[in-house]
Amino acid sequence: MTTPVTAPAPAAAAHRPSTPGPTTGPGAPGGAPPGDAAERAAWLENLLGDPDDPRNPHGYKPLLDADDRREAPAATEALLTEAGLTAEFVPHELGGRLIRPDLLAQVLRPLFRRDVALGFGHGITSLFGASAVWAAGDAAQRETTARVLLAGGRTPIVHHELAHANAILRDEFTARPTPDGGFVLSGRKDVVINADRADAYVMYARTAASTGPRSHSVLLLDPEQLPPGGLRRLPRALTPGMRGSRFAGLRFTDCPAGADTLVGDLGDGVPLALRTYQVNRCLIPATVVAGVDSVLRFAVRAATTGRPAGVPPRRWHTVLTGVFADLLACDSMAVTGLRALSLLPDSSHLLAAAVKMTMPDLLREDLEELSTVLGAHGYDRGPRYGGFQKLVRDLPVAGLGHAGTAACQAVIVPQLPTLARRSWFRTDEPAGRLFLPRAPLPAFDYRALTLTGSDDVLTASLIGTAERLAPLRATSDAWAALADLADAFVQEMRALREQCAALPDITHAALVDPRVCALADRYALVLAAAACLGVWQGQDGTGTFLSDPAWAVLALTRIGRRLGVPVPELPENTTKAVLEEVLARYRDHRSFDLYDTQLAG
Amino acid sequence: MDEQRISTPIHVPRPAGPWQGVHENLTRLGNAVVHTTWGEWLPAALTAPRLRRLLGRDWTRYRRIPDPTVRYRFVAARLLMKHTAAAALRVDPETLDLAYRLGGRPYLRGFDQIDLSLTHTGDLMAVGLSRHGRIGVDAEPADRRMRFDLLQAQMCTPTEAAELAPLPEHEQTAQTLRLWTLKEAYTKALGQGMRLGFTEFGFGLRSGRLLAPDGSPATRGEWAFATHPALGGRYLLSVACHDAGLDPAADTSAGTMLDPGFLAAMADHQH
Repeated sequence: MTTPVTAPAPAAAAHRPSTPGPTTGPGAPGGAPPGDAAERAAWLENLLGDPDDPRNPHGYKPLLDADDRREAPAATEALLTEAGLTAEFVPHELGGRLIRPDLLAQVLRPLFRRDVALGFGHGITSLFGASAVWAAGDAAQRETTARVLLAGGRTPIVHHELAHANAILRDEFTARPTPDGGFVLSGRKDVVINADRADAYVMYARTAASTGPRSHSVLLLDPEQLPPGGLRRLPRALTPGMRGSRFAGLRFTDCPAGADTLVGDLGDGVPLALRTYQVNRCLIPATVVAGVDSVLRFAVRAATTGRPAGVPPRRWHTVLTGVFADLLACDSMAVTGLRALSLLPDSSHLLAAAVKMTMPDLLREDLEELSTVLGAHGYDRGPRYGGFQKLVRDLPVAGLGHAGTAACQAVIVPQLPTLARRSWFRTDEPAGRLFLPRAPLPAFDYRALTLTGSDDVLTASLIGTAERLAPLRATSDAWAALADLADAFVQEMRALREQCAALPDITHAALVDPRVCALADRYALVLAAAACLGVWQGQDGTGTFLSDPAWAVLALTRIGRRLGVPVPELPENTTKAVLEEVLARYRDHRSFDLYDTQLAG
Repeated sequence: MDEQRISTPIHVPRPAGPWQGVHENLTRLGNAVVHTTWGEWLPAALTAPRLRRLLGRDWTRYRRIPDPTVRYRFVAARLLMKHTAAAALRVDPETLDLAYRLGGRPYLRGFDQIDLSLTHTGDLMAVGLSRHGRIGVDAEPADRRMRFDLLQAQMCTPTEAAELAPLPEHEQTAQTLRLWTLKEAYTKALGQGMRLGFTEFGFGLRSGRLLAPDGSPATRGEWAFATHPALGGRYLLSVACHDAGLDPAADTSAGTMLDPGFLAAMADHQH
């Protein structure tokens, strides 16, 4: 277990010498302080320091320079190792600090605000791997994996090939079972993150020739334990996005692996992927949103520099407020998805797939919108604006593009008929704390995640909120608009129920009617709206900006327009109220997310 | 220019095709550009037995357009987009939901393996498709006189102005037109149109590369651009293609996109 240590004073830590120290565990000096997630996030924020300070070895300048050289930023990686960041990926009971995935996302945001590629390469891709061990590994495997991560090691995921695979998902390894319960590994895969510096690989390998649900198994492989010549590391794969990340190839040639490498049972690979990926599917938008937070900051900077009273020209108000509303919408959906993993571990996979299907795309649109405000600054490679182009390059890698979307559609599409017939307009509303980002929840356990539930509580919440809003229309134009918007999404759900109930059950593994893909997309957007409304409603009476209907009206209007449903005129003062908050948060160095946290600098 | 990265536009005279060239170009280069005239497509559009179903959510918009010419162009363009996309996805065009992003850019709801862009001017219509990332297309009549001296302040970076200024008038006008179509294609690829100011970015006149206003390289090779003559040289058609760098699958069919293993595992849990 991590030993509580005294953290260095944040101000001093921010400008510590950049010489990487010896790799030390989280118990070593410099390790993260004990405390809750918000405190650890603040600690990491200060440790990384003011990103705009040219003297900061962890600021934009060195991070962009490293990306330019196609290197991982060594000083910052060393700092994060010393700070024991990887202990955040280890369940608490195994000596780490992982208690709940929503708290994990909160802790990681300071890192993602500065460099999404670093957040992946030095961070969550190890969790993507380790999660199969947390979900199904035996005691020895759990202990070994925990030890690796607590010591600052890496446990990258080695994906199996999915339909319409891109470079990262293409090709897979086969593990031929042997009579003694072991395996013989073979195959080649060219783009595996951290392939050249992994302490353990978590491999989704093909163990049966069939295409059914039992075709793959998960193996935990220690490269040191493999016989010489069995595993060859191939040259680095240079990627246009996440340029500094260490993607490389692996080749296994008739390489024996013991029976003790099998995680869970033979044939568990695909179900394990579906169970554990739900965490990743929420975690990716919940962390990448912090990268777009920084770009919104660049855009406000570009629009306000040299302006009287720091107010941007009128022509940029729509974009700046719209993107801020989108960030809150993205955060609402991602955080609700992450919290559902703890609260509703049987049916969170639907929401998780919807989060991943909609949010990376929405964030990409936001970057494109912000490019209009940035103008020529958008091509600037210097530290003031260079993070924009870098995120434009990195974001597609984080979301995995079409193959990533299709993998989520494969989760939602087969459930649509069941949802329509058994859940929509029938299921009860969830506990209100689902939507309260700071409220306590049951501890999260990867082992509890299943795919058995098909209750959609978010739609239930949408319908309930719409009913409660209806009589409150007279309160103000904003409340009336919100009630109209809620109604429009409920109407959309009625249409979806009718169309989905008429679909045949998916009884075999094929896409029979292409219309279901559009239905899944529409449904996912309704869930995004439901999450926004849920979060807004949860803030009622707090007197904070989030309790003001303005942001929810704007966010829902934008989701409604994407969906093509009728949306009311924006009430007067909506843009003004949201813009005031954007400018206040910019001036006061506060984050553009639900947590509204203080930033360094 | 990046002619080797961007497909030469293909003339597709009617909804029935031929579509083979679209498949070939999408597989080989990752993009395809189709052009035609709305006159060629209009008979098919007007006699389509289930026009209302084919137009989907655009039906109401179609019915509300008062001017018949505008209405016919609108319907022919929708038909062109749906049929071109349907060819790439290997589905019936009626099953596609053509949706619009906030900035107005069309996309295929539920099918992000293909990005698309539409342009129409005069009797020309063109659609670009890409499986690598964003695509934007823009066409202008080749004889449209774009006067550099009048447009310079509105559309040229200092670097572009310096390159254009010394050219003989005829060439200057032609290059100004080409630049205009490139700028339109690029901002359409971003889904922003003229909201992104045309003086905020530029092109090298000879290299055809995207440049910052000061003439420095704006990207690291993610973007490719090309300009082609169309319909016997009556139009100039520019294409902007972004490559997000994921090296996506060559197969863009809808029928194969849902992972069979995931589908089977999810179906298992339904019963």
